[in-house]
Formats: sequence, C-alpha cells, structure tokens
Amino acid sequence: MDELRKGFHHELDQIRAEAEELIEIVIDAIPRSTRALLDGDLDSADKLIRADSILNARSLELEERCYRLLALQAPVASDLRQVIAIVKIVSEIERSGDLAVNVCKAARRIYGHQLNNDLQQVITEMGEQATQLFTAALEAFRESDAAKAAAIDDMDSYLDGLQRQFIRVILESHTQGSINVQVAIQLAVVARFLERIGDHAVNISERVRYFVTGWLPENQTISRTTSSVDDTDGIPYIED
Amino acid sequence: MPDSSAPVKTDIVLQVNDLNVYYGDFRAVKDVTIDIRQGEITAFIGPSGCGKSTVLRCFNRMNDLIPSARVEGQVHYHGIDLYGSSANAGEVRRRIGMVFQKPNPFPKSIFDNVAYGPRVNGLRNKAELETIVEKSLRGAALWDEVKDRLTASAMGLSGGQQQRLCIARSIAIEPDVLLMDEPCASLDPIATARIEDLMQDIKQQYTIVIVTHNMQQAGRVSDRTAFFTTEINSESDRRTGVLVEYDSTQKIFSTPSDERTEAYITGRFG
Repeated sequence: MDELRKGFHHELDQIRAEAEELIEIVIDAIPRSTRALLDGDLDSADKLIRADSILNARSLELEERCYRLLALQAPVASDLRQVIAIVKIVSEIERSGDLAVNVCKAARRIYGHQLNNDLQQVITEMGEQATQLFTAALEAFRESDAAKAAAIDDMDSYLDGLQRQFIRVILESHTQGSINVQVAIQLAVVARFLERIGDHAVNISERVRYFVTGWLPENQTISRTTSSVDDTDGIPYIED
Repeated sequence: MPDSSAPVKTDIVLQVNDLNVYYGDFRAVKDVTIDIRQGEITAFIGPSGCGKSTVLRCFNRMNDLIPSARVEGQVHYHGIDLYGSSANAGEVRRRIGMVFQKPNPFPKSIFDNVAYGPRVNGLRNKAELETIVEKSLRGAALWDEVKDRLTASAMGLSGGQQQRLCIARSIAIEPDVLLMDEPCASLDPIATARIEDLMQDIKQQYTIVIVTHNMQQAGRVSDRTAFFTTEINSESDRRTGVLVEYDSTQKIFSTPSDERTEAYITGRFG
C-alpha cells in the first residue's frame, strides 16, 4: 500500500522545517547578543532587537499552522505528538529570542562601562554554552534523536555552574571597584537571561523526547516534586 | 509509569483464546487472543479483510449461519465455552445482541419491532410488553420522537431513527453484550453523534463491542481499541486477518506500540 494523506504529511514536514529555521535564528542571535554586550556595539544590538519582531511573527504563524492541522486533519500517534511538540517548542523559541533581546538591552544600559577580563571571559563562555545547548537541541530535533535530547539536561548543569561563577565574578569586580552597582545589577540579570536560554533549550529537548517516544517531561517533574522540594527557583545562592 | 488513562480493570465478559476462523480451507482469521471487559466499549479497527467483523460474528455464533465457516480455539462467555457442546446458539444470541451496518427494522410497526424479541420469548401480557417497549425506546433515546406513533410502520423512520430502533429492539430482551458492526456507516453526522452518545449512556448496562472504519469514532467512543490487519500468505497469496495490538484507546491513538498500528492510523503505509 502507498502512503495516504500526502498533503497532510507534506504540511507536517513543512511545519517541522520552519521550526528548525526558527531555532537557527535563536542560535545565531545568542552569540551576537553577547558580542554586542562585550563590544558595546549598539548598532548590532539595535539590529537584533528589531529582528526579534520577525521571529515573533513567524512563531505566531507557525503556532497557527499547528492549530489548523489539529482542527482540520485530526492527527494521531507520532503525527499528533509532533504537532503538540512543535506548539510547545515554538513558545520556547519565541521566549529565547526575547531573552537575547534583553541581553542587547542590557548592552545599551551598560554602554560606556569597561568590563574587566574575568567578566568578559565568563560572559563569552556563558554565551557559547547557551549556543551549544540550542545547537544540540536543534540536532536532536532534526534527527528525532531522543537519546541526544536526554543528554542536554546534563549540558545545562554546566551552564548553571557558569551562572554561579558569573555572579561571583560580578561581586568580586564590584568589591574591587571595577564596576559600579548599576552595572553589577545589569550583569546579574544578563547571567539570568543566558541561564534561562539554556533552560529553554532543555525544554525543547524534552519535547523532542516526547514526540519521539511519548515520554512527557511532566512525569519527571511530578516524581521530582514528590521526592524533594527545590525552593531555590533557579536563583543561585552564593555564600559570602 | 502507569498509564493513568487506562480503563479500570473490570470483569472479563468474553475471553478469546487462539481463535482461528476458516471459510472452507481458507483461514480468514489467525490466532486471535483478546479479553473483552464488562461495562466497556471495545472498538475493532483495521483495513478491509482484516477479520474484525469475522471475529465479532464469532461472539454470538453468527458464523454458524455460513455453511463453510469453521471456528477453532475458544470463546468463553463468563467462563462458558460458546462453541462447547452445552452452548445453545439461540440462547447465546439472546444474551449477546447485534446491531448491523444497515438498519434492518422488520416491516412492522415501531411497537411490534421492539416487542418482537420478548414475544418470541413467550411474553404475552400487554401491559408488560408496553413497559418493555417504552423502557427500550427510552434506552435507545428514541422514545420522545416516536411515542405518539408507535403503531406507525418502522419503515417510515429516518435512517438514524431506524438504527436506534434496532438498538431498542436489541436491548428489549435485556442482553448482556451488544455487538455493533459499523452501526453508523450509513448515517449522517448528527445521527452518528446520537448513536455515539447513546453508546456512552448504555455502556454501564451493556458491554459493547463495535467494529468501525471510522478511526475518529473509535477514538471518541471506546475505552479500548484492537487493531487488526491482514497478512499475506506467500504460498497461497491469500490474506489472513491477525490482531496486531490491543490497548487502551488513548494509548493506541497517541503512542501505539506496534509500527503497523502507527502506519495504519497515520496513513503511512508501506
């Protein structure tokens, strides 16, 4: 027997390709935003901020295409899981784009302030690690690779560690008088933005696992909350 | 992780072990083993020729009516072997009723259609018959539409009404199991929705097994779904029906275990 519902499957493939392109836009935006911050390049920051509205529009359009497929084609099994996964992934992409924009806005706010080598190094490293997480999530998505997707959680732990290190460097730099308190606060939220981008990459990878295997990340969350309570809300606690 | 959507385990009404059905020397169904549970709706889906209707017909010995048909294996109904020497085909069909694809009312009045079964069973008391007819028509969600014309011919009803009349006629003799062979195939969407609602309303009283070509219908109405397909015999080049997967309907339509189920329900064959 031949494949049936070819038009529907073609649209599914198109939707998936569009999601991949949107993830690529974020992968491109993350290092450019940290570069703009480090170089004090406000032109580049402005370009990235303006480009985000295109990402938002394409994300919305992709979401609507998913709803159309759900309403008109009533997908089932892996087709259904793929559409549901993409609906979820779209919001992760859109939010990550916003976070890269936030880094660019921080670049405006600290414009004219010199960052020491330690700060420059940890910001560069966090940007690179967040980009790597998104690249790994894209690969897992493109290849429908649940094992690769499952490994991304561990990569995120490294990024979380970098965030703690970043906060430490900010405190030291402030104590030494290298940066003032306004800059310190801006950099602390940049640390948070980059760390959140990593979390969104993890969420994408979890949705990849869902559409490949039917495994829902909420299952793990439920077992986690019943076994222990994490009340840090992702905010690192730095001992004096 | 337990599947929270799985139906609660209930008593087994029909227990089928290694069922094989032959028409002459042709094996139409091979090695089907399946449990049908009380108070649930079980849907049989699969392509034409996969044996789903043949298996359904074994449940009330309808295949007895085909001279060349032969059934091997066991079908136990509440522990009683339906094909054993002690089972009586008439009694089996009284307990296990059937609704067919095409509504088949008798060319009689609405009342006489529903009263037919109880009368065959020897009931003559008019008041009792009236009670049964009203109860059955109410049970089939048809009473309000026909209560003022019970003596009118059943042939004057719409297709959907005729099908509900056939359901009323089936439940008039208070069966335990209701077999439905594509009951909505000839009905419009509104009549189909009425039958589907009705199935939900009566499933506590009657265990229902439905054969359907409409996968969305299986998704909407059933608790469990069995997917059948055909296997081609390389020697004879003939097709035999096999049961591929049987699970909670939610599982079948979201994460089926067998690739053949996935291919069939998503339309990705070959």
